[in-house]
Amino acid sequence: MKARNADLWSGLALVALAAYVVVQASGWDYSGPDGPGAGFFPLWYGIVMLVLAAALVASSLLHGEPKRVDWRGAGRALAVSAALAVSVLLFKLAGFVVGFAALAFFIVSVMYRRPWPLAAAVAIGLAGGFYLVFPLLLGVNLP
Amino acid sequence: MDILTGLMHGFAVALQPANLLWCFVGVLLGTVVGVMPGLGPPATIAMLLPLTFLMNPAGAMIMLAGIYYGAKYGGSTTSILLNVPGESASVVTCLDGYAMARKGRAGAALGIAAIASFVAGTVGVVGLMLVAPPLAKVALAFSAPEYFSLMALGLAMVVLLAGRSMLKALLAMLVGLWISGIGTDPFSTTSRFTFGRLELLSGIDFVVVAIGVFALGEVLACMETRAEGQALPVPRGLRNLLPTVQDLKDCRFAFVNGSVLGFLIGVLPGAGSTIASFISYGVEKAVSRRPEEFGKGAVEGVAAPEGANNSETGGALVPLLTLGIPGSGTTAVLLAALVLWGFKPGPLFISENPGLFWGLVASMYIGNVMLLVLNLPLVPLFAQVLRTPGYVLYPLILGISIVGVYSVSGSLFDVSLVVAFGLLGYVMRKLDYPAAPLILGLVLGGGMERALRQSLMMSQGDLAILVTRPICAALLAAAVLILFVPLFNKLNAWRLQALE
Amino acid sequence: MKLRIVSAAAALLAALGGLHSPAQGQGFKPTRAVEAVVHTGPGGGSDVLARAVALMMEKEKLLPVRMQVVNKPGGNGAVAAAYLAEKKGDQNTIGFFTGVWLTGPLTSSEAKVTLRDLTPIARLVLEPAVIAVKSDAPYKSLQDFVAAAKKSPGQLKQSGGSVTSRDNIVRQLLQKHTGAQWAYISFPGGGERIAALLGGHVNMMVIEPAEAGEHIRAGNMRVLAQVSEKRLPGFPNVPTLKEAGFDIPAVPQVRGVVAPPAIPKENVAYWDDVFQKLTKTASWQKFLADNQFEDGYQNAADLAKFYDEFTGRMRGILQEAGIKLVR
Repeated sequence: MKARNADLWSGLALVALAAYVVVQASGWDYSGPDGPGAGFFPLWYGIVMLVLAAALVASSLLHGEPKRVDWRGAGRALAVSAALAVSVLLFKLAGFVVGFAALAFFIVSVMYRRPWPLAAAVAIGLAGGFYLVFPLLLGVNLP
Repeated sequence: MDILTGLMHGFAVALQPANLLWCFVGVLLGTVVGVMPGLGPPATIAMLLPLTFLMNPAGAMIMLAGIYYGAKYGGSTTSILLNVPGESASVVTCLDGYAMARKGRAGAALGIAAIASFVAGTVGVVGLMLVAPPLAKVALAFSAPEYFSLMALGLAMVVLLAGRSMLKALLAMLVGLWISGIGTDPFSTTSRFTFGRLELLSGIDFVVVAIGVFALGEVLACMETRAEGQALPVPRGLRNLLPTVQDLKDCRFAFVNGSVLGFLIGVLPGAGSTIASFISYGVEKAVSRRPEEFGKGAVEGVAAPEGANNSETGGALVPLLTLGIPGSGTTAVLLAALVLWGFKPGPLFISENPGLFWGLVASMYIGNVMLLVLNLPLVPLFAQVLRTPGYVLYPLILGISIVGVYSVSGSLFDVSLVVAFGLLGYVMRKLDYPAAPLILGLVLGGGMERALRQSLMMSQGDLAILVTRPICAALLAAAVLILFVPLFNKLNAWRLQALE
Repeated sequence: MKLRIVSAAAALLAALGGLHSPAQGQGFKPTRAVEAVVHTGPGGGSDVLARAVALMMEKEKLLPVRMQVVNKPGGNGAVAAAYLAEKKGDQNTIGFFTGVWLTGPLTSSEAKVTLRDLTPIARLVLEPAVIAVKSDAPYKSLQDFVAAAKKSPGQLKQSGGSVTSRDNIVRQLLQKHTGAQWAYISFPGGGERIAALLGGHVNMMVIEPAEAGEHIRAGNMRVLAQVSEKRLPGFPNVPTLKEAGFDIPAVPQVRGVVAPPAIPKENVAYWDDVFQKLTKTASWQKFLADNQFEDGYQNAADLAKFYDEFTGRMRGILQEAGIKLVR
């Protein structure tokens, strides 16, 4: 994927965000009885955002820098990101220790392709460590 | 009581064995708390309050203050080694500190942070001691319009943090502004951008965004390659384990810059250490002879903000002790502690409680020395943390981040937010959007909007109030000047090119 | 054989059932640390009150366990209220509420939990306030200030909290009563409000007597009138609003205790009793005197009635002030 497209897409996303902000802001009071209202500030920075984002889109269409964005590793990063999301769910259902052990196991075995006994050892070790240090020693609650 | 007598009286109090012990406990605890992302001095001090009733007030105050400035020392450790801001003010240290670690100079970075913190912390105490009451009066001259222009000055720093694409930096900053606006509008009780969710009513905590974008974003980026072995180069040789003489020389101005700016900004109630570190960093970069180095591992880029966030503690104590007005979250808890112990903080506090005040001041000198002695020798040890293989280190970072975020609010929603911001941080990294402007916008956005609206309320809608007040106008002028710095640099570059 | 198994099972079930039923008969006693939920962060008003109460409970040995303060800030009390509502039936949790818990649901659609949804326990204090100006201001009495405001409408300024806070309510009532008009500038922190007054950026503020005390002693501030029914012991020479000729209700800042919904009657009776005992102790009297609070003790039943009356009054005042109501 060329850098041009990356800038283009992110620029368009920002244009969408800016438009959303402006629309919401115009729904709020611009100026209340005691001074500027809730819509005042967002309206202005929303407009600035819109202009700049549009400029970004324009520049990406016109210039198109030759710099390429390297997406090769992205799949792995996104996988970890998804694993993180899953682990949050696990936190809710089974608590931190279980969820974190699962996450650590995933990272070590899948990301680093280490043998699974090592992965399990690391996962349990870290999770256990967290459990010992935080709630027991410091009195900080784990999710 | 004049200053010298007061100080001697203070040392008499502070050097009592019990108080020395409390000082040590405080700074040690503070360092640990600072290292942990999320858990901060306000919560820690609140947790310890019941304990303090068993101690004498001087000792208790010494300990709590020790936690306050000790945390600033600790915050830099994780920022430099792991790109995890341990404390909100340490975010700026992540920029150059982590870059230095990547280049194998983690030890030097840690060392410079400790030294800068020591110098600035001491300057802060000196300031507190010498100029507290008159400075407090000056601080009162600051109100909404001045705060607005101060924050505008802070935002203008964006042009110095821009890197390659000014457009992207500005857009990142605007997104930061937007995020800061999520929540209930304090003036009209309208909820903005909350999508109907109760958890968003009070906005998104800064810690959540900072840890997400910096720490998790970095971990995700590192996940891309299946790098064997260590995550970061372990510093080898004395040159990289501790700062060199050259480093110290380079940082001469940074030490001054950080100390003075941090203290002055700390005195203003409502301006915090994060703003202080950003502005100090920006000023340092603006006057540097090699601004391109910033963001890639410039030593001064670590010294200036680290100094600023330490001297800010001294500054924040000024309004607390001279007027009874808390200047930051931590000082608000300290105020509550004083009230609970039966004191009445206010204009007459210092003159009526000289033992407590001077004892506190003296203990801060001692505390800073203790922290330097604690931190410097540990630097090579900390640097060895980088030896941990990636597959242990990264899950560890993720775990610390999650626990840290959860400890702030106890809400799983915040944890899921931090994961989302991690993804954002990663995407921003890939698409070359700088993260610092986002944080800057987030930190300053809320305060700026509030200050602007308060100013307009004061002037009945007349914008001229911003230029008719002298301090306000001066700060705005400075902000405009900063905006011209890149232009100036470009012209300079053209001139040099033309001469070749 | 079958009969023995069945009867054994029945006996077991009965025994378990007995164990399982909530504490009945002799009355309730907390068995683990009591969670006291507050809606401010550490150092905020409710937080300080809760910690002070916890200390007094320990000193006067009113609770067999510790009281631990849990901070749930956000949404002007909405987050804390929602947290309590979720803890249905939990017998070891209480919450410290203030006036914003009552007015919040009126103005914010996300604040769904009203005090009626929770279990009222006790009203503890009524915080009076005073009207203060900088000591070099030309106003010697509240009449002076109002007259000056009438002469230049909208020019004088008052600093205070959010627009639904007591500070603004007092302003709205005064404005309506006198026909004068002056601006209101919100500062989220008490410290900033005082700084604005002392720095000369605003002309007047409504401030708690305890906060003002030190500044008055140092000669920086002067008090024009007190927002309370009777004169406070700390301000014997300052007229109350009514005495100064302003016949408007002295709106208090109210603080009290609530508990999660659906807790058994013995639980409510226990809390009711504990807090009643607290208000009779010497430490409590000292606490009230030090902070210049009015003893506003009401038990659970009266608190419920007070809530309805207070909310009705607030609704009227807010509407007249032009603030949008959502409920």
